[in-house]
Formats: sequence, structure tokens, C-alpha cells
Amino acid sequence: MPVEALARDLQNTPVSLFLQSQAPWLWPLSETLHFIGLALLIGTTGFFDLRLLGFMKRVPLTVARQFMPLALCGFGLNLTTGILFFLALPSQYVVSWAWWGKVAFLLVAGSNAIFFETTQGARVLAIGAGDDTPLTFKVVGAVSLVAWFAVLYFGRMLPFFAEIR
Amino acid sequence: MAFLEWLQHLPIFVTIAESGSIWGYPTILVLHTAGFALVVGSALVVNARLLGLGRLAPLSAFGPLFPIMWAGFTVNAVSGFILFAIAATVKAFQAIFWIKLSLIAMALGVTVPIVRIVKGAGEQGVVPARGRMLAVVSLVTWTGAIVAGRLMAYIK
Repeated sequence: MPVEALARDLQNTPVSLFLQSQAPWLWPLSETLHFIGLALLIGTTGFFDLRLLGFMKRVPLTVARQFMPLALCGFGLNLTTGILFFLALPSQYVVSWAWWGKVAFLLVAGSNAIFFETTQGARVLAIGAGDDTPLTFKVVGAVSLVAWFAVLYFGRMLPFFAEIR
Repeated sequence: MAFLEWLQHLPIFVTIAESGSIWGYPTILVLHTAGFALVVGSALVVNARLLGLGRLAPLSAFGPLFPIMWAGFTVNAVSGFILFAIAATVKAFQAIFWIKLSLIAMALGVTVPIVRIVKGAGEQGVVPARGRMLAVVSLVTWTGAIVAGRLMAYIK
């Protein structure tokens, strides 16, 4: 598999070798930050998704959206630490079904969020306290919830899924 | 010790630990992580509101997050007990495990008055100073529990 050869080469670059040499403290620290980022990201997007689905109607949608900078913080934290994990041991990840599953659902969650912000953003203002949400919002909320928990599932399953052969 | 040995060698826990099936140990870990996301995720949102984010919505409007928190906590109490049981003779002597449990107990301890403040707030948006202090303690203790939980894999 060409991607495997590429990962092997990448694993021997100075950056990767440096990260591997710092592993005793860098790995636990990054994992801890990755878990904190997870709670920030799923907590705040999950809350926004529930409002998109029509739950917690007493919260105006614009107010629920004020929590999204926290989600971005969590995402930034997890993207940074995630890239670090990957750079340190790329050949461990590219051969894993779980890793590709995680990447696939990250793309689903990401494009879903981008779709919402670019095409539906203006309609958020109209959803005040007590208002129900349109069907598009409900679909976006459901896709987001499923996708982020799928990312969590495949991430936690990384050490256990079979290798691609 | 005899009790820990007995617990760890119960057929159900031996099966979970040693089956090698994706539905055994890995699934318990996934449940523990998902439950953690529900508990700490909702706690974060409530605490952010107590600290002033989203103050245009009434404080009590965040009350529906508590059932989610308790559901996540139930999942984690059960999955956490199983994770303890399958390695009871080791975990019971890990200081970091008891530190994690103490931090969770403290976090739960501040959640009780937080629930009371949120539910009792009615239509008002103002948070009493005590609410902000409890939110800070909640954030610190949950973060501490995350750190301790992760370190359990490293500090034997």
C-alpha cells in the first residue's frame, strides 16, 4: 500500500523522531488535553445540536450559538494534539480501520457544520425563545450528534480495531 | 484482598477482560468515554452559563441538561465499576485511582447545590456569587478527574 510507505518515510523525519523521543511526558500530556478538548467540543456542540433538534426551547438559538467559541477551542485543542499523535507514529494510524473511520466522520461533522454556517447561519436569528426549528436544522443537529459520537467511538477504538490488510 | 480476588475472578469479569472480543473490554471503555462526554460536557455548559456566557437565556432554561448529566453518570458508574472489577487487585492499590474517585466525589458534591441554584432561578438571568464560585470548583474538580483518569494508564 503506497500510503503505508509514505507513512514509514514520514515516521523517520526529524519532527517525528523528536516527538517519539519526547514520548514519556508528551504522550500523556497530549492525551489529557485531547480528553479535555473532547468534553469541550461534545459538550457545547451537543448542547447546540439539542437546540437545533428542538429541545431546550427556552434558550434562543442565538444564545446557544454563543457557546460555539468553546467548541472551537476544544476542536483546536484536539486537532493540534491529534496531529501530534499522527506525526509521531503515522504508520500506526494509516493501517487502522478505526483511524480511517474517525477521519471519515470528522469530515462528515466538519462539512455538516460548514454547510450550516454558510447556508443557514442567517436563519438562526429568527429562532427565539420558545420557537421550534425548521426541518433542515433538525437534520443538521442529528447528523452532528451522530457524527461526533462516531468520532469518539472510532477514536476510543483505535487500539482495538484490526489492521487493514 | 480476598474480596478483590473474588471480584476480579467472577466469571463475568474474567470474560469481559479476556474474551478478546470487540464487545468486551473495548466496548466498556467506549461507554465510559461516551458517558464522560455527557457528564463533563453538560457540566461545562452549565458552568459556562453560571460564569456569564449566554446570560440572555434564563438560568433555569439550562435545567434539562441535568438529566443528561445523570444519565451519563449512571453509564459511568456501571462501566467504571466493571473497569475496576476486571483489575481490582491492581486498581485498589493505585493512589491515582483513589485521587480520581475523590475528585469525582467533590465534583458531584458541588453539582448538588448547582442543580438547586439553576432550578430555583425561575425566569431571572442573574447568577448569585455563590453560583459562580461553585462553577469554578466544578470546572477544577472535573478537569482534575480527567487528568487523574488519564494518568491511571501511566502511573502504576
